[in-house]
Amino acid sequence: MKLSFSPRLSPFLMPSLFTNLHRSVCSASSIPPPPTTPKPQTPLFLRPPTHSATTSDLQKWHDWANTLASSVGSTFVDLDNGPDSTLLRRELKWLMEDAIEETKNVDNNDGSVRLRVEIEELYMLWKQRVEERRPFQYVVGCEHWRDLVLCVEEGVLIPRPETELIVDLVGDAVLGNEGLREGLWADLGTGSGAIAIGIARVLGSGGRVIATDLSPTAVGVAAFNVQRYGLQDIVELRQGSWFGPLKDVEGKLSGFVSNPPYIPSDNIAGLQAEVGRHEPRVALDGGVNGMDDLLHLCKGAAFMLKPGGFFAFETNGEEQCKYLVEYMENDAGGSFCNLNIVADFAGINRFVTGFRR
Amino acid sequence: MSSFMLRRRASRGGSWQLLCPNPEAKSRFFPNLLFSTLSESQHRNVNQPSNPQNLRNPIERRNILDSGISSFSHNTSKTPSGSLQNPTFSSSIFVSGSKPLALSSGNAASGKNISGCGVLGLPTVKSLYSGRGRFGLVCLFGTQAAVEPSTCDGLTVDRIIASEWPILDEYESDWKSHAAAIAQSIHLIKKRLQWKKLLVRLDMLSAEVNKPDLWNDPVHAGKISREHGSLLGKMKEVQTFERELLEHVDMVKLAREENDTELESESMNALLNMRRTSKEKEIEALLAGEQDPCSCYIEVQAGAGGTESNDWAAMVMQMYKMWAQRRGYNMTLVDEMPGEIAGIKRATIKVDGEYAFGYAKAEVGVHRLVRISPFDSNKRRHTSFAAVAVTPILGDASEHVQINESDLRIERFRSGGAGGQHANTTDSAVRIVHIPTGITATCQNERSQHQNKASAMAVIQSRVDQLEMARQNKMNAQYSQSLTDITWGSQIRSYVLQPYRMVKDLRTNYEVSDPDSVLEGDLDGFILSYLSACLDKDEDDN
Ligand SMILES: C[S@@+](CC[C@H](N)C(=O)[O-])C[C@H]1O[C@@H](n2cnc3c(N)ncnc32)[C@H](O)[C@@H]1O
Repeated sequence: MKLSFSPRLSPFLMPSLFTNLHRSVCSASSIPPPPTTPKPQTPLFLRPPTHSATTSDLQKWHDWANTLASSVGSTFVDLDNGPDSTLLRRELKWLMEDAIEETKNVDNNDGSVRLRVEIEELYMLWKQRVEERRPFQYVVGCEHWRDLVLCVEEGVLIPRPETELIVDLVGDAVLGNEGLREGLWADLGTGSGAIAIGIARVLGSGGRVIATDLSPTAVGVAAFNVQRYGLQDIVELRQGSWFGPLKDVEGKLSGFVSNPPYIPSDNIAGLQAEVGRHEPRVALDGGVNGMDDLLHLCKGAAFMLKPGGFFAFETNGEEQCKYLVEYMENDAGGSFCNLNIVADFAGINRFVTGFRR
Repeated sequence: MSSFMLRRRASRGGSWQLLCPNPEAKSRFFPNLLFSTLSESQHRNVNQPSNPQNLRNPIERRNILDSGISSFSHNTSKTPSGSLQNPTFSSSIFVSGSKPLALSSGNAASGKNISGCGVLGLPTVKSLYSGRGRFGLVCLFGTQAAVEPSTCDGLTVDRIIASEWPILDEYESDWKSHAAAIAQSIHLIKKRLQWKKLLVRLDMLSAEVNKPDLWNDPVHAGKISREHGSLLGKMKEVQTFERELLEHVDMVKLAREENDTELESESMNALLNMRRTSKEKEIEALLAGEQDPCSCYIEVQAGAGGTESNDWAAMVMQMYKMWAQRRGYNMTLVDEMPGEIAGIKRATIKVDGEYAFGYAKAEVGVHRLVRISPFDSNKRRHTSFAAVAVTPILGDASEHVQINESDLRIERFRSGGAGGQHANTTDSAVRIVHIPTGITATCQNERSQHQNKASAMAVIQSRVDQLEMARQNKMNAQYSQSLTDITWGSQIRSYVLQPYRMVKDLRTNYEVSDPDSVLEGDLDGFILSYLSACLDKDEDDN
């Protein structure tokens, strides 16, 4: 999973292979994403409504899709904590929202509806959703996250609801702390760009965010999303492994956030089908105990943050949180203070936050 | 008629009055006689430069009006001549834009086009001003003064009512019948507005508003001046209507005296239009509560009884969705908890639009269904219950109760397993508990957790606000009942599908023999009869 980059090597000794892709923070705005990143797919809701279908054909599709959803019952729940029929039916409603131009006018006078995909493709898409357990967000090409609609596709992790809280944590940290708000931030392993875009909007025009990822697909998708929210002047994308692309900003970061892969390698095989079969392993697998990347990032935090700088990491839960805090208190040579463990809305201790001394 | 225009023009400042020649009446009704010069200048404008009756072209005539007297008639002059309608005039006087229109379609036409006012006004000008010079104009400031308007010969709304003139059908051209009908409406409107209380409150608010240190507390000041403005508007609207009636009566009498048939029929028409408008105003007056104009949440919860009950709750919810659609409201589903086999255990919708709360509050309570259950293989008759709660959504953020973050418990709904990167789910339902009050709200209908949380939070905010309003007695307690307060015994309406068919409101005894139409959202009859029963029952307020 680690490809050519071993985070266990000190990144500061390791020359980045991507130096040619680095751009300075200030010049980020006008330069398109690196040429190596593939062009992202257009999500369903952004495609032009160039197709049409009769209402009765659409109704037929809908009935078929609904029956398929109902046939699932609680099979997936029992199997691997997957979606039940109720959830699938709600997704079906959202698929209609995204695929049909103005769901409200389904019954136009002329009895036809304008679609963003061919009706045949709707059959295919829903089959993929239910039979192949393809994640709904890949089917429609987007995920609603906070107040954002982020484009996603295979190869990019679908941002999780839990992760929304990192943006709130940053919001709390910069509240009344202009130094932090106007500083330079980094989101490592940005995936779709979710956290980077979220915090860029919290920081406002005074802040800067560097977002990195190892995966070229992720960098491409993140660049697309950054563009869509008009944040090119604030968020800069860099491709590379962890601190590799950040040499020029060592010790200069006001804030540093990451949701790195944290699932223990052993657990990968038993994951829910939507995750295990469809999401990129490089986004999930955190090594034997899931802590490889988190520990690596912790070490780097001491290096990268300037005094008073803030960090927040997402973890696998209680155990990893405790481990990290212990590590930071004891082994990190007193570099950090105000360490805090924060639970998600399900009550699971999910985040570790703190400040560079 | 031009006197209306004059009054209309000035109504934003003081108010214009027809001035009776009777000196006694003058001192009695118009104690603040001011600006007598104004009335002279009007004389000159109308009479001296040209005699309007000599002008052949109606446009020309109107221009004179425009230049001299009436600013409202700008609009008029743009209207093609012939059938002259004056939307500005009619709509601003009779129907204030934001008020609900009459629910029953029969009234829809009234108020919108009161034709004839503009053009036909001219001869009136002549008869009023040049005729015998016995009318003048006066500008009355200090509108709060409780002046009882009257006609030149001392007729008031109360006296019209006391005369007990028979009220005939609308098409009968009898001015006394029209006047009596309108007077009764005014009486009813005042009762619904709780007129005396309104005047007392308005006095109090006026005193507050005039305090020099009012704006030291801007939030309070905002509240006070808003309420003041709103009550003042209501009062003025009724008073204007009242004076309108008396002026028309004056004019009918005058026309008869002078054998001016044109003026007489015109005044008669005006009375007829007023009579129609008054029905709308009666309905508006039902919705004069402070929160009535708000949007609202409607919540439905199934009673005990499993699938049959759940199905009934879904039918009730569907009824409100269709009602909202009929009324042109925007409807969004906030939360829905489906039943195991059919229907819903609970659901919340948000209804956006003016007066949504004003109407929907009439639905609070338990709704009962009697039918042969389609879910019972033995085809037995079942009785099911569904409870309905309604919460206004205060439009003005400054009126919200401050909620402390620390008083909230926010939970992921139906979460399980390790979460985070382990799980892919589109279910990001959130439940928020407001710990001090125990109020709970769930939202699962949005596509992101953040937005589910925001929606649930908005519900919590509205409930907390509602609770606070109820505590301060600013809202009738029966409307503010939450689902947990509603006791299943307190049924408000009964829907019988078998063995006979009927929907009956147990509070008003209003009943309908076609349950299907009611279940399809035709609820206005029930709502209005209930609202009027509530407001009209306590006598002696007027
Ligand atoms: C769990 S995902 C998080 C994505 C995104 N931040 C989010 O919260 O939705 C982890 C991300 O880290 C990236 N990643 C994995 N190994 C990396 C490495 N060595 N350097 C940089 N990024 C890496 C993956 O490509 C993936 O996008």
